[in-house]
Amino acid sequence: MIKDFLKTLVSNRKSLVGLCLLGFFVLVAAFAPLIAPYEPKIDRLETVAELGEPSLEEEIVSEDYPSDSRDVIVYRSTTTREYEKTVDYFPLRAKPSAEHPLGTNHAGNDLFSQLVWGTRVSLTIGLMTGLFVTALSLTLALLSGYLGGVVDDVITFLTNVMLVIPGLPLMIVVAAYVTMKGTLPIVLILGLTGWPYPTRLLRSQVLTLKGRDFVRVSRSLGERTSFVVFREILPNMISIAMAEFFASSMAAILGEATLEFIGLGNVTVVSWGTILFWAQANGALLSGAWWWFLPPGICIALVGTSFVLINFAIDEISNPRLRKR
Amino acid sequence: MSDTMLEVRNLRAGYATAKGFVRAVDDVSFSLRRGEFLGIAGESGCGKSTLAYAIMRLLRDNARVESGGLLFKGRDLVPMPAAEVDALRWTDMAMVFQSAMNALNPVLSIGEQLTDAVHAHRSVSRDEAEAMAVEMLALVDINADRLRSYPHQLSGGMKQRVMIAMALILKPELLIMDEPTTALDVVVQRSIIEKIEELRRRLGFSVIFITHDLSLLVEISDSLGIMYAGRLVEYGPAAALFNEPRHPYTEGLMNSFPSLTGPLRRMDGIEGRTPDLLSPPPGCRYAPRCRYARPACSEGGCPGLAPSGEGRLSACPYPMGGRADGGVAGEGGRL
Amino acid sequence: MKYFLRKLGLLAFTLFVSVSLNFFLPRMMPGDPARALLDKMENLQPEQLDTIRAAFGLDTDDPVIVQYGRYLRNTLRGDLGTSFSRFPTPVSEVMRVALPWSIGLMGLCTIISFSLGTLIGIAAAWRRETKLASATVGFFSFVRSFPYFWLGLVFIYFFAFRLRAFPIGGAYSVDAARGGAAWWLSVLRHGALPAATIVVSSLGAWILTMRNNMINVLAEDYITVAMAKGLPIRRIKSMYAAKNAILPSVTGFAMSLGFVIGGGLVTEMVFAYPGIGYMLYQAVNAKDYPLMQAIFLFIAVAVLIANFAADVAVMILDPRVRDGAK
Ligand SMILES: Nc1ncnc2c1ncn2[C@@H]1O[C@H](COP(=O)(O)OP(=O)(O)OP(=O)(O)O)[C@@H](O)[C@H]1O
Ligand SMILES: [Mg+2]
Repeated sequence: MIKDFLKTLVSNRKSLVGLCLLGFFVLVAAFAPLIAPYEPKIDRLETVAELGEPSLEEEIVSEDYPSDSRDVIVYRSTTTREYEKTVDYFPLRAKPSAEHPLGTNHAGNDLFSQLVWGTRVSLTIGLMTGLFVTALSLTLALLSGYLGGVVDDVITFLTNVMLVIPGLPLMIVVAAYVTMKGTLPIVLILGLTGWPYPTRLLRSQVLTLKGRDFVRVSRSLGERTSFVVFREILPNMISIAMAEFFASSMAAILGEATLEFIGLGNVTVVSWGTILFWAQANGALLSGAWWWFLPPGICIALVGTSFVLINFAIDEISNPRLRKR
Repeated sequence: MSDTMLEVRNLRAGYATAKGFVRAVDDVSFSLRRGEFLGIAGESGCGKSTLAYAIMRLLRDNARVESGGLLFKGRDLVPMPAAEVDALRWTDMAMVFQSAMNALNPVLSIGEQLTDAVHAHRSVSRDEAEAMAVEMLALVDINADRLRSYPHQLSGGMKQRVMIAMALILKPELLIMDEPTTALDVVVQRSIIEKIEELRRRLGFSVIFITHDLSLLVEISDSLGIMYAGRLVEYGPAAALFNEPRHPYTEGLMNSFPSLTGPLRRMDGIEGRTPDLLSPPPGCRYAPRCRYARPACSEGGCPGLAPSGEGRLSACPYPMGGRADGGVAGEGGRL
Repeated sequence: MKYFLRKLGLLAFTLFVSVSLNFFLPRMMPGDPARALLDKMENLQPEQLDTIRAAFGLDTDDPVIVQYGRYLRNTLRGDLGTSFSRFPTPVSEVMRVALPWSIGLMGLCTIISFSLGTLIGIAAAWRRETKLASATVGFFSFVRSFPYFWLGLVFIYFFAFRLRAFPIGGAYSVDAARGGAAWWLSVLRHGALPAATIVVSSLGAWILTMRNNMINVLAEDYITVAMAKGLPIRRIKSMYAAKNAILPSVTGFAMSLGFVIGGGLVTEMVFAYPGIGYMLYQAVNAKDYPLMQAIFLFIAVAVLIANFAADVAVMILDPRVRDGAK
């Protein structure tokens, strides 16, 4: 089932482009340490000249500050050897250059490295939230659609209530109360405000499947519930669940960026959202530093586009009417 | 003017799909006289609807007529410019569609849907159009106050009768009915068919009645055409065809329904499946399922309709008499 | 009628849930946000600290349920508490100033975007074989994945900073006399970029929804019937196709409205547009919880009302819903 589904995805041109795009960002996230020239929060390069054993206590011999961006410190350890340490500070708010392809920010961090490392954080949060939302809504949908009765009434009612409560404002309010900042709280906030819509969609799919002949037959034959749910209903929900996964992940990446941009995330972590937060906070816009605020948005949009493309394909596969003839 | 309403000449039509061209109507020819009731029967997927849509010039999207002619009152519809077809359609020929449930627009009232057809072709006032609608509804036994109703407020049978009224509202000379009764229960089916017959007598239009249920056609058809896998396999006067089918497929179809008058027979159906129209089998397309098939049947080209005497046409080259031993006679004994 | 009452009941309950969320969230959050806030704000005046304590129920020993009752009563009376950051202005007063700007901006943008998107969606489905249609659909699916606020940043950069065609932020010019023609003109000029941001980024959703609905409807038998009847194309497109296709759009309007408003809020933040979005931004930064809650509540109410309007619209458009058949 899953294999067939993946095969059709790969054979569709749109989803192939989408998958490649997503694959590219996943690779960047995975190999961030190799791709990024610097650590995301480094603002200087230190080089130590002369050989010898480093020692615990040291005595500064001379300090020299040849330029604004360079310190040269000569110091002696207890073993009387001398070392020269050169500290090269990155320029602040630099334009793109050979050393810093996307320039540097207000604190002298290399923006290209931040973008690469930020891919890791943003993608992780997006995909984790997508997974969380899909699992949650799939569970709720199966419980509600399959069991019916009171369970269904309660879940449907809750879903309908939560559907009308506007998501982003709720997210903002909840995030404002959260004192603990980190990946998990963000995933929880995004996930717990993002489940109603997918739950509704998935539930109606469960109901459709429940009415299909093959499910009706095995139910009347007295098959175990777990068999019907896991062997007959679930496999037929793969495409719609995948579509929900990608849609939720995209919503999560956008939501995360928004929360961080407002300053409700953890601003000490480097992600696409926080790069934009710092860009805005430091007036990147009005100093014309497009290299600071354009790339993160483009990355978000590209990841989003990859999800949209994949979902286009899934839509076309499951709804023949949309197929180009 | 001649007596011929419609003449279909070697019509080929089908659908372009990703896997290839599905020829759903293959070399079909027949003609229809003024006022004649022609029944066309065949299993699901044999191309009946495609034929109907082709005649109405309503083939959509990936479908097209490949070759052949459709002479409607002497004028060929196939090369006719769209504007002229628009002028003919619904005024001179109309159609009742396969699924009445979906053929009515759920958000417009019955009245609006009846009258907009009138306004599209005739310059009449609102009231006149409405009067025509009321008159038509009365013909199909629906009360005038239903004009304000919406489709969901009607029963399935009523919807179908509304569709018939809609098709007849401009008094067309040809009415094509594509399985108009399939979704309805037996009693309603009967009443609708009786209604059509009554209207035909009164208004004098010709009918092409398409169904997969041959039994519906027994009493009302003048002529019958039997379709199999895109081809017309037998054609002739209805009574003669019923009494003495000359194509094994016709016989098989007749065995698939219980006769109301004759002795109780087992509903045999026909074994096997209809062939894939993408790559039909060589020779006679019915051969793989035919109980009388000989080796020669599965070779060469597909046999066409040929006169078989008494003004009848059959696509089976072997006269029925030559295989009587295995035929209908043995059927009763199996009960 | 039953349909109507059921909807009304659901909305009333949703409102109740929103109000209750406001009460319980700060009290249930792990990490005790109230104490954290108090610890940080020790340098405030004593009266201000009292307001904060009162807002979180730290000043009484009443059981939570009693506090809750009192809170509900106050909310019903329109007493939403006192703003922490604009002490001692009542929250309702702060809101009163901000609301017209937001309602004007977002209301207008939603209407423009919905109508425009629906029209483009209809056209894109009707001529879906054309290059233009696929290009439009492709372009807007791409735009849809931009974060709202980022699009706002880009607009500011190009149109306000580079081209200097529009102001960078704010809602009106302080030089012009309020209410005069020059002032109104400045309002338009200030609103243009935020409005463009909201419309451009929300348009795609409407286009895509309408296009897909339309494509589904165009495959229905009643469209074939309409063509067979020889109806004018305009009538087929509007009364047969679009009227059916728009129903799911209108039903979905409510849900999408949440997104549009969310986007509008963020857009206001980027443009420092003095509506409730920017106010929310300031409230969040100042930890002004009562103001935040009030804004949340207001948005919830607005969405609920819009929802209700959408339901009524569906009822007018769809006879099946009117009869309670669907
Ligand atoms: N849009 C389409 N694209 C490709 N193939 C099609 C399309 N519509 C119909 N066909 C194929 O054309 C053949 C004839 O279809 P048609 O609808 O004419 O059959 P039918 O005799 O009316 O069947 P039924 O009794 O089920 O209505 C079928 O094999 C069908 O699979
Ligand atoms: Mg058919």
